[in-house]
Amino acid sequence: MNTQRKALCLILCLPLLSALLSGCWDDRELNELGVTSGSAYDWENNEWKATYQVINPSSGASGMGGSGGGSTSSPPFVTFTVKGRTIMEAIERTNLTSTREMFFSHSRITVIGESLAKHGINQLIDMFLRKQDARETVYVFISKGEAGDILDQLMQLTKNQGSGIQLMIEQESRLLSYYPGTRLFELAMSLASESGSAVLPEILLTGPGIMDETSETGRTDLPSRLALGRLGVLKGEKFVGWLSQKQAFGLSFMTDNIETATIAFASQPRKSDKLDASFILQNSWTNVHPVWAKDHFIMDIDIKGSGVLTELGSVMDLNDRKAISEMEASLERQVLDLVNNSWTEVKKLGADVTGFAVRVHRSDRKRWKQIEKEKSWDSVFQEIEIRPHVSFQIERTGLSNKSFKSVQQE
Amino acid sequence: MPQNQQKGRKTGKDPVETSVPAPLPLNSSLEVNLQEIGKRIGSSSDIVIRNFTNESLSSLSLTFIYIDGLVNADSVNQTVLQPLMENVTLKGDSITAEAAFSMIKDQMLPVGGVKEGKTLEVLLAMLFEGYTLILFEGLQVALAADTSGWEKRSINEPTSQGVIRGPKEGFTESLRTGTSMLRRRLKTTDLRIEEYKIGQRTQTGIAIIYLKGIASEQVLTEIRRRLDAINTDAILESNYIEEFIQDGGLTPFPTIQNTERPDAVAGGILEGQIGIIIDGTPFALLAPSTFFNFFQSSEDYYQRYDISSFLRLIRYGAFFVSMLLPALYIAVTTFHQEMLPTTLLISLAAQREGVPLPALAEALLMELTFDVLREAGVRMPRTIGPAISIVGALVLGQAAVQAGLVSAAMVIVVSFTAISNFVIPSLAIANSIRLIRFVMMFIAASLGLFGIMSFMMVLLIHMAGLRSFGVPYLSPVAPMIPRYLKDIFIRVPLWSMTMRPKTDLGKETRRQGPNQKPQPVEGANQPAPEQPKPQGEGPA
Repeated sequence: MNTQRKALCLILCLPLLSALLSGCWDDRELNELGVTSGSAYDWENNEWKATYQVINPSSGASGMGGSGGGSTSSPPFVTFTVKGRTIMEAIERTNLTSTREMFFSHSRITVIGESLAKHGINQLIDMFLRKQDARETVYVFISKGEAGDILDQLMQLTKNQGSGIQLMIEQESRLLSYYPGTRLFELAMSLASESGSAVLPEILLTGPGIMDETSETGRTDLPSRLALGRLGVLKGEKFVGWLSQKQAFGLSFMTDNIETATIAFASQPRKSDKLDASFILQNSWTNVHPVWAKDHFIMDIDIKGSGVLTELGSVMDLNDRKAISEMEASLERQVLDLVNNSWTEVKKLGADVTGFAVRVHRSDRKRWKQIEKEKSWDSVFQEIEIRPHVSFQIERTGLSNKSFKSVQQE
Repeated sequence: MPQNQQKGRKTGKDPVETSVPAPLPLNSSLEVNLQEIGKRIGSSSDIVIRNFTNESLSSLSLTFIYIDGLVNADSVNQTVLQPLMENVTLKGDSITAEAAFSMIKDQMLPVGGVKEGKTLEVLLAMLFEGYTLILFEGLQVALAADTSGWEKRSINEPTSQGVIRGPKEGFTESLRTGTSMLRRRLKTTDLRIEEYKIGQRTQTGIAIIYLKGIASEQVLTEIRRRLDAINTDAILESNYIEEFIQDGGLTPFPTIQNTERPDAVAGGILEGQIGIIIDGTPFALLAPSTFFNFFQSSEDYYQRYDISSFLRLIRYGAFFVSMLLPALYIAVTTFHQEMLPTTLLISLAAQREGVPLPALAEALLMELTFDVLREAGVRMPRTIGPAISIVGALVLGQAAVQAGLVSAAMVIVVSFTAISNFVIPSLAIANSIRLIRFVMMFIAASLGLFGIMSFMMVLLIHMAGLRSFGVPYLSPVAPMIPRYLKDIFIRVPLWSMTMRPKTDLGKETRRQGPNQKPQPVEGANQPAPEQPKPQGEGPA
């Protein structure tokens, strides 16, 4: 009995001991937090320039629109721009001007200015991976001008701009597949991989001005909106160039990043090159297989896909199997063009964003070791020849068979 | 002799101050006896003493004593007074006291219970039970006729444990009514009812009821031992017994169930539990009880098993919500903000704008308010009851939020917690987590989720160590006996519960035949070539 009592006391005391280790010293009430939804980093005069977007809860920035008790004229978020010799120095300087403690766990996006991308982003990635409340799941973007300007822009429909941009990129990669969104850990992983290169989507303002006053968003057609643009290419830790959206699309085919995509193509390539039909690619697989051919690698790229025809502008009867085969061939040619076009540009930039290095390493380890030893991947990469094979299938043709044009002409 | 005993009691460790004198044998003089009785019970107005003499005023002198209100007046008149007073032999001069005694005892009292008493104590005890005493001049023995019959509450629907489907009768304050209700439900020769009188001043009747052969002998011995060990002056409600006999004094968890429902007691008895009915309260006890017993409601067996299982799972969920929700809210909003979805975080943060108190104080304030409201609702006279709901809902809920004292989310958390608490069928365990909730809140405010988990571990270890009359409190989950889990988290169909669950050290016995799943007879759908013979002997 007595020993039992003692044991019970001991057990009851154990959690008390832990009170010494941890405790309420680090508790933070919700109204003491400045919840950041996005951050942007620039390099200016050899200093870090960081911009933070802090959500203003009382403006009803939860996206519900209106409710929340605050005045609707107050902005849904406020931004702080700070400078410092290191990133953390800059962040800590926020406390000189902000009433709230920065809380980064809910950040959704990070925008890297071109100036910083040219300087190098290793330190930034390190900070994200090291700091406890920084999230490596943030989507990373690159901007042509000053990154901080992007965060000032107000959005319509979504008050929380950071999560709005996240929605944009997620939607884009799901429905359009020009490029996948790059999360910070993915960026770090691809920079650390054999190819040492990565891509970042560009975020830009469509107009000249920055819509940063709440009164300015009360218009239906904003003169300047946030938009996703080209694809920035990083090699090592530095920015080397841009891929256009079309080239990025081709790259997506090469890297198997297609979820759903709409492809415009010529339905009757023999009659005209006019792109008069659309196809939604619903399933797509890409297999890359490196083959060593005497002195260079040949990449066999097998692209397979299937989907639905959604638009047809020529005179055609789809009851005819031949017509469909013809369209499939046209589609395949279209994608082949995209891939080849993209490859030319990637080769020109000399950044292995295709991930070919990883493929080579996996399939031909001996040769990869040699390449690694000689550090000759860049030259090997320039020698690579690609052989894309595309095979698409139009599985369904929608609700009608004959195109409307042919119905009308009859 | 009495002094000796008193002295012994005082020097001994008996804490009860009693004035129980030693048994006093009756004197042969009626006068002396009456004086002694008068000395013992005083001259209370409800005690009726009536003398009876025969014509000669010498050979026979009787005294009837009964307590008005405890006896049924009709029964006293018709079965005791009338037969005796109208009897010719008794009126005659020739009768002696001895002859009258045996004649009255054997021939003249048309009542069931007639007892002899030789000491004053025995007689007085019977007097307080509603017997009518008949004292004889010249005899050292008296008669007591059972004429008891006092005002009782009629059988009503249980107020604290209602059901939609199922018997609507509840125990009353009468012990005898309680035992009769169980007898009616369990018409078996195995049913045993043992009666005790506990409480030196109240002499409360207590019955333990069990099924011989199913209830564990070990547990029975233990319960008898503990009941015998009770030395107190009053038992006014079943909680008196509960506190005296339940294991583990320092635990928030109840180890004995209480119920108002005879069907619940019958169900418990059939599974090997032992029922304890206490005179003077409609709440009977069931022991031994495990943690999971408190989540079983008798209605579980009166509705389909699928919905019963669902409801039971909801109850376990509600148990955790009721215990943890305010604590989780505090922990997440003050330590683990990263765990919330951003949208929720921002809307919570927006609500907290301008709330003057930290989350813990806010939660404590609202929880205490609710407990005050609840207590007020229980104590308040019925007629002003609606005022409570107005004050509670409007003033303390909406107005507090509008005044910016508390956040709306906190009101939701507290009300959901409160509602969840009422889902648990047993008030005993619902009350125990009401207290744990406050401890949880303090721990959450100082240690966050880590603290909550640690305290949960402590609770779990504590519960695993608890026993109810030798039965592990968490059985059959810990120790795990998979085949007894049929009626713990879910309730399987009745036809598949063939064995009695052995959670209570009782014998594991078959309670119904196997293979009783209702299904069509094979080939029943095909036209039968000839009339199938009925099995067994039907009426010709």
